[in-house]
Amino acid sequence: MRLSDRVSGAALVALGGLAAWGGSRLPAVPGQDVGPAVFPMLIGFGLIACGLMIALGVGHAFEAPEEEGGGRSWWHGLWALLPPALLVLYMLLAERIGFLLMAAAMVLVVALAFGARLRLALPLAVLAPLAVHLVFYRLLRVPLPEGLLAAPW
Amino acid sequence: MQNLIEGAALVAAPDVLVAILASAIYGLVIGALPGLTATMATALLVPVTFYLSPIAAVATIITASAMAIFSGDIPGCLLRIPGTPASAAYTDEAYAMTRKGQAETALGICLWFSALGGIFGTLALMVVAPALAEIALSFSTFEYFWMALLGLMCATLVARSSPVKAIAAMLIGLLIACIGMENPAGTPRFTFGLSDLLGGVEVIPALVGVFAVAQVMRALLMPEPPPLPRRRFGSILAGQWGLTRRYPKQLMRGNTIGVIVGVLPGAGADMAAWISYATSKKFSKEQAKYGTGHPEGLVESGAANNSAVASSWVPALLFGIPGDTITAIAIGVLYMKGLNPGPTLFTENASSMYALYLIFILANIIMIPFGIMMIRTSTLVLRAPRAAVMPVILLLCAVGAYAIGNNPFAVLLVALFGCLGFVMERNGYPVAAMVLGIVMGSMVEQSFVSSLIKSDGSLLPFVERPISGLLAALTFTALLWPVGVWVVQRLRGRRLRPSGAAE
Repeated sequence: MRLSDRVSGAALVALGGLAAWGGSRLPAVPGQDVGPAVFPMLIGFGLIACGLMIALGVGHAFEAPEEEGGGRSWWHGLWALLPPALLVLYMLLAERIGFLLMAAAMVLVVALAFGARLRLALPLAVLAPLAVHLVFYRLLRVPLPEGLLAAPW
Repeated sequence: MQNLIEGAALVAAPDVLVAILASAIYGLVIGALPGLTATMATALLVPVTFYLSPIAAVATIITASAMAIFSGDIPGCLLRIPGTPASAAYTDEAYAMTRKGQAETALGICLWFSALGGIFGTLALMVVAPALAEIALSFSTFEYFWMALLGLMCATLVARSSPVKAIAAMLIGLLIACIGMENPAGTPRFTFGLSDLLGGVEVIPALVGVFAVAQVMRALLMPEPPPLPRRRFGSILAGQWGLTRRYPKQLMRGNTIGVIVGVLPGAGADMAAWISYATSKKFSKEQAKYGTGHPEGLVESGAANNSAVASSWVPALLFGIPGDTITAIAIGVLYMKGLNPGPTLFTENASSMYALYLIFILANIIMIPFGIMMIRTSTLVLRAPRAAVMPVILLLCAVGAYAIGNNPFAVLLVALFGCLGFVMERNGYPVAAMVLGIVMGSMVEQSFVSSLIKSDGSLLPFVERPISGLLAALTFTALLWPVGVWVVQRLRGRRLRPSGAAE
């Protein structure tokens, strides 16, 4: 997602405004001049200033010229959301269906997304979760959810 | 002496030695794979360190980071793709040597001078840190405030990025650090009623998200790097001694720049490499040869980034202020293992400190044989298809984030930070500055507020005390540096333009 400096600068101004506003509503500590509100407000004003400067193109000269990614269509960029989406699914489902199955599904999907053939993706989806389970569950004693399929150890 | 022997005994424990060997191989492999950085290697290691003894935990971090910084040079040399950002400064030079048929020499320089730089950096750490500890004992919250702020400002001076965007990124990090109730007043801030946010945002999920998940996301959009042509390498270390004798000044200058940049809070190996490559070119007698495969710049910056790896532990150990993103992780591990950073660490835990120095030296020595093995097998390792590596990385992100607190919320944080890091990186906002903001936010606020309470709301003591005044001056220099550069460029541009028009 490549945004123009105007858009990202405006977003920063908005974020800074929200931070300053949210900070200013925090309750003060009785008998103390500098309460919990000061820091968020300082940061908020800083962000507003930075956002304005970025939107106006200040400091742009320092940036390295960026290489263009070529004429890919915009929906191609949505591919990038696959890994975080899988992480969210992992958070939601791992307890229920268990680590091994969830991890296998995750590895399989990502491997296929990177253009792996089934010859590579399938063995990887079986072996990688087992190996990770062995290291984390047996060696490091991290409690991984069992779910529908328990590991043989 | 007693401490040294005790430290050696700590390092000689079998679990520590196994940890060093395993993390050496791990660091070499991760560093060599393009796109997998040294910071990512260390961030993914943290869950593992939970279950190790303190010295073994520190040993894995040190060894893996030192190895990864070196092995990032390998794909730089062979494919012109830097394996870690710290190699980016001289990737073109190294690749030019490979094209001239001197791949062995280029890789040998990276290896040999990395090890020398690392050892020099360790020696500097051994000398500088205890000496500074004496001074640091007299530091009060005023000095801590400026130190933390200086660290943040240095982090915004990262090469090749707009300083305004860097400051914005840092402020975002500070804002994230505000979340939770770990502030001097103990008021819950920006928790949006979520109990998971009361404790604040943990640094490790943020790091894993920003440096690992975002990288997987980026890789999905990029074409696969070209496969490495199979090649047989000749002797790697041949001629390195000759180069050492030929460029002693460059080596020492690289070492020194690395140490200075490393000791500065907030600036680490990446910056050291860029600065020393530029200085090397500036002072060289053969400037024209730079960029065409000339070993001089490689010698200097290859040494600089590894000496910065060691010396960036100075502010980390003394003040708990990270020298770079790797030590930001290391500080977390130190706290977790009861080795709380601070000047007293050097007196109370002297044997652990000696163990730490020894691990650094050991890591840089075994770097040479392990590095040679890595170079010889690099054609194999670099053939590992991304489609096999990336899924495993993502799986490790999920499991590692979960392992830190057995809290599924951490996995969500990793995903969110992955998105944030991805968007920021795409738009030229340096994520390292944000990470350092998250790490140091509570320290900046804590020291600021308690200083203000001590001084009864007066700002004068912030600059009155001698060391505090010096640190304040340094901080403002760092803040105004880009403005100065811009003015100089403007003036020079104006002087050049009329003369150009006259021709």
